[in-house]
Amino acid sequence: MNKKNHLSVKTGFLFALPAVVYMLVFVGYPMIQNFILSVKNVDVYTFADASKQEFVGLKNYLELFDGEDSILLTAISNTLIFTVMSIFFQFFIGFGLALLFNKKFKGSSFFRGVTMISWLLPVTVAGLLFKFMFASKGGIINQLFMSLHLIDAPLEWLLEPKLAMIAIVVANIWIGIPFNMMLLITGLTTIPEEIYESSKLDGASKLQTLFLITIPMIKPAIMSVLTLGFVYTFKVFDLVWVMTKGGPINATELVSTYAYKLSFDQFQFSKGSAAANILFLILFVVGIFYIKLINDEEEVM
Amino acid sequence: MKKKMLSILLCLTMAAGVMTGCGGGSKNSGSQTASNQQAADGQTASNDQASNQASSDQPSSSTSAETVVIWDYFETDAQKNMMQDLINGFNESQDKYEATHVYVPFADYEKQLTLGMASGELPDLVILDGCGMASFIEMDLFGDVSSANIQWDEYMEGPMASTMADGKHYGIPFATNCTALFYNKDIFDAAGMAYPDENTTWEEFREMAKALTKDGVTGFGNAATGTDEGTFQCLQWLYTAGGDYQNIGAGIDAYKLMQEMVAEGSWSKDCVNWTQSDANNNFVARNLAMQQNGPWQIPGIEKDAPNLNYGVTVLPKKDASSGQATSILGGENMGAVKQDNMDGAIAFLEYYNRTDVMVECMKQYGSFPPKTEAAQDSYWTDDPIQKAFITQLDTSIPRGPSASWPAYSDAIQTGFQEVMISAKTPEKAAEDTQAAVDKVKAAEK
Repeated sequence: MNKKNHLSVKTGFLFALPAVVYMLVFVGYPMIQNFILSVKNVDVYTFADASKQEFVGLKNYLELFDGEDSILLTAISNTLIFTVMSIFFQFFIGFGLALLFNKKFKGSSFFRGVTMISWLLPVTVAGLLFKFMFASKGGIINQLFMSLHLIDAPLEWLLEPKLAMIAIVVANIWIGIPFNMMLLITGLTTIPEEIYESSKLDGASKLQTLFLITIPMIKPAIMSVLTLGFVYTFKVFDLVWVMTKGGPINATELVSTYAYKLSFDQFQFSKGSAAANILFLILFVVGIFYIKLINDEEEVM
Repeated sequence: MKKKMLSILLCLTMAAGVMTGCGGGSKNSGSQTASNQQAADGQTASNDQASNQASSDQPSSSTSAETVVIWDYFETDAQKNMMQDLINGFNESQDKYEATHVYVPFADYEKQLTLGMASGELPDLVILDGCGMASFIEMDLFGDVSSANIQWDEYMEGPMASTMADGKHYGIPFATNCTALFYNKDIFDAAGMAYPDENTTWEEFREMAKALTKDGVTGFGNAATGTDEGTFQCLQWLYTAGGDYQNIGAGIDAYKLMQEMVAEGSWSKDCVNWTQSDANNNFVARNLAMQQNGPWQIPGIEKDAPNLNYGVTVLPKKDASSGQATSILGGENMGAVKQDNMDGAIAFLEYYNRTDVMVECMKQYGSFPPKTEAAQDSYWTDDPIQKAFITQLDTSIPRGPSASWPAYSDAIQTGFQEVMISAKTPEKAAEDTQAAVDKVKAAEK
């Protein structure tokens, strides 16, 4: 290692320093506090009296997973279903729209802008709108299905556990499509026009162009859309809180809504932070996967 | 190597983004509290200015008055006016203290109080839902005001109990109410049926609801949403059936009635997502022939639907041989926040304790004064609708009181929702709810 190289490592750390300080103060400290809280027994009875607060190890975590009727396990599986379903549809619809709006046609940039509305709308407003639309009496979705003769009687969207899950997934898909679309469009614009031209000369069909050129070329964009999408869908809170509050009977309970309920409805602060930490842990793993992915891409390039 | 370090850093950044989702939630709201508090301070300041100007002829008061800040979640115009009149009255009655109030949205109320305790940003007095007070007494939010010059025995037993712990007083009941049965007279007349009254039994009530369920009208509806608002309305059915909040099995007939009526279509299944306002809106819109609700809806009905021809009676009783149905006490308490100098808070409590002040407030507010005698004011007893609530109050009981009430409430309301959407049979739901309640009881200290 010569001197010059050594210096650049030092400068590198110097540049990273502000970020590290920021992270330690605003992320590291709350995270550690949250972890400490989760291995104590702080609840309504011990909140005021610090002498009664003691370390209980992993008791809160074990209790959350305990028993066959563990709400946390239901919440985790609900969150997974919610996330996978949302991302699946968001991605395919978003990809389709990205391909469409990547073509230059009259009004394409206008309509591309209009589709962003669902992303710009505050989530609580979107949640309320969908709550009204899914109402079993007088909701527009039931009206529509009835007039198309898809159903004979109004469906109880937010009352039947399975339908309630579908309702919140549909609402979340609608909100997330523009995000997927925009990132994928950005990816698409990086593909040089020449490649398409030469493939055309070589006689590639439309499908071949899509699967052999477009998709491999924007693979990095696709991977970031999917991982980022996973992270922000996994921690959705406001939409579900507005639409169902996790009900009926925990059918749409997500880890985020459950953690909130434990902390602020039932004052079981330690248990609530334990649930939040589990959410964090799951996403941390996804995060590592994402970093690894980015690093691999860099090495290929 | 460098790349490794960077990737670890980036990894942490990702994690940071994630944490804002969960742990960060409280941080965000923390800053919100701060800004609320600032807004509050701003308001206090401007109020002070206004009152200083108003009372500029008495320079002594404007310089030395200590402020008494009150938090409330009152939203309707009637409630806001009541609060302002009460505060003006207090400020004019003496010149030592200057009261002001700060609005905090109901949905955030308990969260803001919890965060306030952590940050120390708290008012002098808190007006809060009666059943939540036990939890906050346990969390040491309130201070002992037993020494105040107040005749404690004038108050009704149930509401009073919710302001106390271990024989000490932490505030006074502010307003009291309960739910009763509203019925639409026009719908009953059109069907040629007699109105429900104090002798109506569950069986008769069920027949009425069934007969009235037609032409887009549902016989009955209440608020059964999955929060304590739902518990507040559903729990009375369990008590009337013979159970209580720790003894679910004894009230299994309530589960059976609910499940059967919902299955018949005469008890709206939408109730599972309804708040009390939702139930009332449907009653006013003539979608419901009968609803369970409280007296605070009356000013709104008079304003929005002055032509609605309705009556109120006590809730149906179990059967002919049983006594009047139980109802659950609702209403607010006013708690004094623990601090070194609580004189200002106590002065305000003593002012509100004056029967004439309390009665005047409650007329505007649409609830009843929590003093036995004050509720006998002719304003209420001469009005047939108000009178029904006064009668129902006789057999009303408080929720808990227990510091673990939120956990009890959650377990109990899950049971009601399970039977209403037929996720479980009444027997299975009773068994599971009992198990959940026992678990809460075991954790209670």
